[in-house]
Amino acid sequence: MSTGDEDRVRKQREAGERESAKLWRAWRTVHEMVQDRGYELSEEEVKISFEDFKNKFTSDDGSVSRKTMTFSARPTDEMWKRYANPVTANDPNPASPDIGTIWVEFLAESSVGIKQMRAFAQFLTANNYHTGILITNTNITPAALKIIPAVASETRIECFTEADLLVNITHHELVPKHVLLSKVERTALLQRYRLKDTQLPRIQLGDPVARYLGLRRGQVVKIIRKSETAGRYASYRLCV
Amino acid sequence: MMMATAKQPKSILKKSSYPATSATSSKTKEERDREVALYHANLIQQRKEIELEILLSTETLIDYPLAGPPYDASNPSPADAKTFKELLRPFLPSNYDELIVERNINDRCGYTLCPNPRQKDGGGGRYRILGMNGKAKDFKVVEREELEKWCSPECARRTLYVRVQLSETAAWEREAGESAVNIDLLDEPKATEASITEDLQKLDLQTESTTSKKDAADLALERGDKAQAARNAIFDVKIQEKDISKPAQAPSLEDKDISDRLDTLHLTLEGHTSSFGSRREKRHKEALDGANVEDDHTDEDSEEDTDWQI
Ligand SMILES: [Zn+2]
Repeated sequence: MSTGDEDRVRKQREAGERESAKLWRAWRTVHEMVQDRGYELSEEEVKISFEDFKNKFTSDDGSVSRKTMTFSARPTDEMWKRYANPVTANDPNPASPDIGTIWVEFLAESSVGIKQMRAFAQFLTANNYHTGILITNTNITPAALKIIPAVASETRIECFTEADLLVNITHHELVPKHVLLSKVERTALLQRYRLKDTQLPRIQLGDPVARYLGLRRGQVVKIIRKSETAGRYASYRLCV
Repeated sequence: MMMATAKQPKSILKKSSYPATSATSSKTKEERDREVALYHANLIQQRKEIELEILLSTETLIDYPLAGPPYDASNPSPADAKTFKELLRPFLPSNYDELIVERNINDRCGYTLCPNPRQKDGGGGRYRILGMNGKAKDFKVVEREELEKWCSPECARRTLYVRVQLSETAAWEREAGESAVNIDLLDEPKATEASITEDLQKLDLQTESTTSKKDAADLALERGDKAQAARNAIFDVKIQEKDISKPAQAPSLEDKDISDRLDTLHLTLEGHTSSFGSRREKRHKEALDGANVEDDHTDEDSEEDTDWQI
């Protein structure tokens, strides 16, 4: 083998290794995200090492196979409580919380259009997944994104790119801690300050932290900041 | 105290009621507000429905054409061409571009009525040079990505030919008066004997009622809101079809009773005789025969009205 060939082989191997590392980081972040939202995942699942990840998902050709990168998780009891609709005088038998099993899938396709999105929606509905997270390595066509609201009555679809998940933004030191308030806590907050929800400052649905937490319109998050002078202080935002 | 009763302090606030409007309308402000809100909610709803319809049509057209050989892009099947034109009506050029992208993702030629896969030359580089052997005017440098949207330059032209005919106005904002877009294809389905007879039959059926029905359907399609007219229910138009049992017949000069038609022959246009004038005359005569005419000039206007009243 000439030095040129060796060089090429080495470069290919390095490129493959970089790709695997990228996917491992996205895999870790999406697990942390699902856990932070309140779904049930074990620490081993969330904190998988690079070696274990490669052993689990590397296919025969030596590259990580995205097709096999899928998982599902169920809401914890704590999450059920957080999303529960409170019993009130007007509503003695409130609807059950709008959550359920979540499905996460990495898509191998190099382009994601209407057909791929429709197939994903049909898979979620057929298997009774309440929510689905689709992770792609390319952008999704505008027409395909329109499928999401069209199937919203059957299943909730969220989309992330692998690049979105290379780092966990909530671990960044400049990002304060965001905590979703339950409906009871939300009502108590508004009563205490005699506010209408629209009087609160806002957080956009498309805000990276809102997307990370899977926030919905009308939910309120508590934002906890650390301050050198005041210690910890909290503020609240309404998701719009 | 005296001062206070004699001179009321003048309010700096606007008066809560507007006498000018409340006098002309019996509706309260709340009622009017509600109507306006309802109107806008309806518009938003309409827009949503049209957008969904466009999405579903795009999804349908990704898999076109449905018909196999002998049909192809230069001679599409009449059924596929018809559906294509109909589904395309609410489309904006941008929606059409999205359809091309979606077809390309599924490795189809960007032209909806073409059964071929799109061209993929696999080579690198961003540009391709075309027309090297032809005249200087054919010489072109084209982006490879642009070229790979179609199976051939012909299909690129067919696609563009349709695109320029699409309305730039969103379907929910189109005026009622804006005539239905009739999209023409660069390569329409080739006429066969069967389709000519079919066309003739259709020609015969173009009575007043069917054309007005078609106009209404065109308008609904153009707006992209088939259900809308029915839901708003401003007009309740009932269309009564004329019962036609006679088969289509090509016009012929060898007709035995051609002498009977001689008096109307000059009114015949490409074999079709307009029935409008003659029928009006007939009815006019009937009215006169009925002797119920009060004065001689039996309102020509009102009579004309009856001709288009449904
Ligand atoms: Zn083609």
